[in-house]
Amino acid sequence: MKRRRQGPGVWVAYAISIVATLGSLFPLYWLFVISTKTPREAFKSPPALIYVPDFSKYLQIWQTAGFGQAYLNSVLVVLVGVAMTLLVATPAAYALVRFRVRGGKWLRLWLLLAYTTPEFLFVIPMYVLFQSLGLYDTVIGLAIVYQVFAIPFAIWMIQAFLGEVPRELGDAARVDGCSELQNLLRVYLPLAAPGLAATAILVGVNMWNEITIALSLTFDNAKTVQVAVAGFRGYAAIRWQEMAAAAVAAVIPMMVFAGIAQRYIVKGLTFGAVK
Amino acid sequence: MTAVATVRRRRDRGSRFLVPAILILGVTSIYPTAYSIWMSFFDWDWGQRFNFVGIGNYLDLFANERFRTALWNTIVFTVGAVSVELVIGLGLAVVVSSLGRGRGLIRTLMLVPLMVGGMIVSVIWKIMLDPSLGIVGTSLQALGLPPLGFLGDPGMAMASIIMIDSWWQTAFVFIVLSAGLQALPIEPFEAAEVDGATAWQRFRFLTLPLLKPTILVVLMFRTVDCLKVFAIIFGTTGGGPLTTTESVQVLAYRMAFKQLNMSVSMTTMVVFSAFTLLVLLVYQRLLPTEERAA
Repeated sequence: MKRRRQGPGVWVAYAISIVATLGSLFPLYWLFVISTKTPREAFKSPPALIYVPDFSKYLQIWQTAGFGQAYLNSVLVVLVGVAMTLLVATPAAYALVRFRVRGGKWLRLWLLLAYTTPEFLFVIPMYVLFQSLGLYDTVIGLAIVYQVFAIPFAIWMIQAFLGEVPRELGDAARVDGCSELQNLLRVYLPLAAPGLAATAILVGVNMWNEITIALSLTFDNAKTVQVAVAGFRGYAAIRWQEMAAAAVAAVIPMMVFAGIAQRYIVKGLTFGAVK
Repeated sequence: MTAVATVRRRRDRGSRFLVPAILILGVTSIYPTAYSIWMSFFDWDWGQRFNFVGIGNYLDLFANERFRTALWNTIVFTVGAVSVELVIGLGLAVVVSSLGRGRGLIRTLMLVPLMVGGMIVSVIWKIMLDPSLGIVGTSLQALGLPPLGFLGDPGMAMASIIMIDSWWQTAFVFIVLSAGLQALPIEPFEAAEVDGATAWQRFRFLTLPLLKPTILVVLMFRTVDCLKVFAIIFGTTGGGPLTTTESVQVLAYRMAFKQLNMSVSMTTMVVFSAFTLLVLLVYQRLLPTEERAA
């Protein structure tokens, strides 16, 4: 539906949209402001709009409470987790797009349930299991548990991208003697590569931002950046600047990725339902 | 080879590709669910004590005042947050879709909060809503309002949490409904305009009914996501003051990892997951067949 409103209504529409946009962005701007203000300036009322930004905390946080290690852990969890997800979800999505899978209806329901299950239903048993397997507080353990939400999400998205590949192309390759695996690797994947990259980014963002599972299944060695930021909360009002700087440092890579995958975010949010 | 045989062979080839996904989801979703259900019939506190208690945990749970409070808090939060997000998200989707220049940019910028993790959201609002030093409180006081407690005030804490979630997640509703609006046919709207329908009539009698399936999908995902609420409560109030913002997942976390009441916590999650499953299935019933997941 495309419609254009005329007359004064259009100015009202612009005013509302701009206020909503500023409302979405202001809290993040303010977080950045607080991270660059010394306590004396941060607590000034009314707040000074012009001040000399102090970036010193951005250097200090890396030495505080294992923040640097936690940041690295998060990078590793995302890399391992996303690799695992793509490796498993791509063939699954291919099967769902190309074949009439027996029990496909139930499989789809299972995906929805796995995706929507409240975390602690599976986190507490995984905590018990991981304690005995030695996977507790490890990057690999966390990456495995993240598959619960990552695989369904990735299957939904990749299905949408593979579905855009003309069926005739795949059929032709089969006639030419390609196996189904070769068909997936040589015909479908090259065509769906941008979609796969977008899926990887969105799954990565979700894993980077995850806190409920990370809080329960890591302690020190594999503590993620979100858990480390949670640790800064204890500083409360006295040391806002560190807390804010840590939070900004944890947000920046996500903003970069969101910028790269911008075109695909809508598709991701609608689980591939929207072209 | 007959056509039937070809179809069967292709089916079998398909299942092969699903094996890794089924295995991993089996380990990460079926196994722990079964384990939780099994353990809910025992009394286990991470120590030597391990006794079969039948449905004892369930009886205790339903009699547990704190669980009932947490369940109620979760429902209040979900109804509150989902309503606010739907009204604002739908309103903005309609308004922004009427724009010409700058529409794409506004949509992109409004998406930004969704890229922020729940713990960062907590940090942002702990700073903004600080009763004495936060920008929100000091601004309102400058306008002549009395000092407000926000997250620290038992009467305001839940409303504050709902507000925080609305800042965070309204964009999800907005963007999905925007996409839905874009996909609507233009002819009925032109016809209505020719017939002299007001903007409100067009919204009420065309946009809303045509958009209903999309709205239901959005409501389903927001409702289930809100029922799971953990990060923004853990990160701001931790469930307090008293237990005024304690959600079921926050309570389950405390039971398992602070009090080591493992089997009680698992019983709580079994009951609560059954509840969310029920909500999910109700939504699935309401949806038109082609929009259902299964």
